[in-house]
Amino acid sequence: MPEYQARQTIGELLDRQGISRRAFIKYCTAMASLMALPPLAGRAMAEQLRAARRPSVIYLSFQECTGCLESLTRSFSPSIENMIFNVISLDYDDTLMAAAGHRAEAARDQAMKANYGKYLVVVDGSVPTADGGIYNCAAGRTAVDILTETAKGAAAIVCVGTCSSFGGIPFADPNPTGARPVSDLIGDKPIINVSGCPPIPEVITGTLLQFVTTGQVPDLDEHRRPKVFFGNTIHDRCYRRPFFDQGKFAKTFDDEGARNGWCLFELGCKGPTTYNACATTKWNGGTSFPIESGHPCLGCSEPGFWDKGSFYAALSTGTFGRAGNLTPRDAAKLGGAAAATGIAVAAGATALARHRRKVRMTDIQTADTQKEE
Amino acid sequence: MDLLQFARGPALKFALIVFCFGVLWRLTAVFLLRHERTLSEPRHPVFRALMGGLLAAGSRSAPHREFIRRTGYSEALGYSYHIGLFVVVLAFGPHIAFLKSLFGVSWPALPNNLVTVIAALTLTLMLAVLLRRLTHRVLRLLSNFDDYFSWFITALVIVTGLMASTHFGAPYEQLLAWHILSFDALLVWFPFGKLMHAFYIFPSRAINGYALARKGASV
Amino acid sequence: MSRLGDIPIRIERPDFAAMAGTIGGGVTAILAEIAALLDRLAAGDEPQAIDLKSLPMNPGDREQLIEALGSGEVAITLYADGESTIRETGVHGVWWTEHRDGDGEVTAAFIEIARVPGILIVDSDELQRGAERLRSAIGATRSSE
Ligand code: SF4
Repeated sequence: MPEYQARQTIGELLDRQGISRRAFIKYCTAMASLMALPPLAGRAMAEQLRAARRPSVIYLSFQECTGCLESLTRSFSPSIENMIFNVISLDYDDTLMAAAGHRAEAARDQAMKANYGKYLVVVDGSVPTADGGIYNCAAGRTAVDILTETAKGAAAIVCVGTCSSFGGIPFADPNPTGARPVSDLIGDKPIINVSGCPPIPEVITGTLLQFVTTGQVPDLDEHRRPKVFFGNTIHDRCYRRPFFDQGKFAKTFDDEGARNGWCLFELGCKGPTTYNACATTKWNGGTSFPIESGHPCLGCSEPGFWDKGSFYAALSTGTFGRAGNLTPRDAAKLGGAAAATGIAVAAGATALARHRRKVRMTDIQTADTQKEE
Repeated sequence: MDLLQFARGPALKFALIVFCFGVLWRLTAVFLLRHERTLSEPRHPVFRALMGGLLAAGSRSAPHREFIRRTGYSEALGYSYHIGLFVVVLAFGPHIAFLKSLFGVSWPALPNNLVTVIAALTLTLMLAVLLRRLTHRVLRLLSNFDDYFSWFITALVIVTGLMASTHFGAPYEQLLAWHILSFDALLVWFPFGKLMHAFYIFPSRAINGYALARKGASV
Repeated sequence: MSRLGDIPIRIERPDFAAMAGTIGGGVTAILAEIAALLDRLAAGDEPQAIDLKSLPMNPGDREQLIEALGSGEVAITLYADGESTIRETGVHGVWWTEHRDGDGEVTAAFIEIARVPGILIVDSDELQRGAERLRSAIGATRSSE
């Protein structure tokens, strides 16, 4: 079955499923708009995709919470949600597939063999490496083992979510499982990181679509994220930006400023240092995004976001102190201790200097008296 | 750990410790300096002398009318860029958030664009001050590494801050990291260079004024 | 309450009544762009479109834009995986298009500058498949006779 599907063009499959050409153009137009392409580019994209063959996709889940897959499968309206599965041939995904056990593993082997060098690997979750990688095993094999084997014949690897892209929550200090991002383990394949905790579903599908349409890795930033979606910070596109510029900040979650929708910088917003499409694409089919709901951005699409201090401390403050949140009490303790040491050192040094001077003076005096004698 | 994390975390912590330690060390050391015994008969009671000290701390800040033609330009420059520095440090929203995390108090911010303009003006004035130091023969002979480095580190903080707030030249997180790092460097340098004048200036004037008043001189 | 749009919300906004009567800078710019695209279309260029979803528009701008363009002679409803509406504006060749998904949420909105909206045009494959379908239908009727 997967082999047959892989040979079929996307257009043929859509026709068989009764999805009209116009319906597909509509879908591609919506995707083009998300990718900041001109709306009519959706038509060209639709034609190209219809003529293309569905690439085989192997979806590997490691140390993760399945939030990324939930994001992908649950947030569109059903008709659009399914569309991406018409464009790709999802041959292995242990969460979604009906098969289990040896049959499931056989599906992966078969897909790999039939499409060697051409299939796409999607990875969700970080890979544990400590203690021989025993913290994540499936079918008696470690995640490292499965990843290395599957990656060998892949055309490219798409890391979905911050865990596979940058290590994410399992990677957070003290990282007991020795979790690593995929890019740490696989060096010889193109890797596209679609980070976020979870990533925006439109960004996941958009990245996959782009790859299927062009057959090429898109323009990536220095963290290997597609620039079309991760080219701007949240702050660049935030509708609360005018308040930031005016210096109007909410100080607590229930003050006048919060009610007026002022900037959330002082409540810890990481928007200025976070690259993602939330402010434009938004969530839940374009309903809103965290800042619109009154919560500061956590910076979930950035490497190490879990270890960058308190979510609720302003970016311009220190990240040491209790819970990574510098408070006046910490500051007083720290400064007080340093200051006390300073006073002590100075007092000690002065006392020593005075003592030396005294000794010297007596020496001189004794010398003088001796001379006189 | 990326650069910004380093700047906000360990580097800032180290800088604050060095700053507090250094400032108190130097203040204590100066206060404990041996004072020459005053041999003259006190002309005024202690209380009056203290008032004299306070008066001196304030009155020395006003330009001398006799010399105003010669000192006016540099005094105007000095005053205006110091005011600019105060506004930029104390009235910019993100700075207030930082100060609040240290001291627990906050106050309303000025609009960012206004602060950016003031910062740019301040930087221009500081350039003028540097130019004067370089072209004035006596001033140049009086200047040493400390003067130039203290100027440089202050200007660096402003330049990186301006770049960060205008998103100029590099991704914001890098600019912010450089801004905080340069501020960390300033904190470390502060107690050991001429920036320390911020702490010395008024006490030294006051002590001078006190001693003078005690001797009966007019302050 | 089946759709998001049904949930009542209260939006606090500045007073836009004060701004009424003046066309915002953003709207003027869009109108100018449409005019330029019409010129190019007349000169033989490809049809173009302006994405309405990614345009930064202030509340009220959209209403102004609709008003400025007026309404035209043609309105088309497309039933393909959700209802889409394509309306010609008061300016010939300027089509206001809104695509919706099965739930009625707008998935794409743009102004197309074209003689006929491109999505309406049937491609040759579809023509052929249509012909085949009819022939097989005829064959089926014949054989059942
Ligand atoms: S809420 Fe966050 S992203 Fe929006 S303007 Fe304020 S700091 Fe920037």
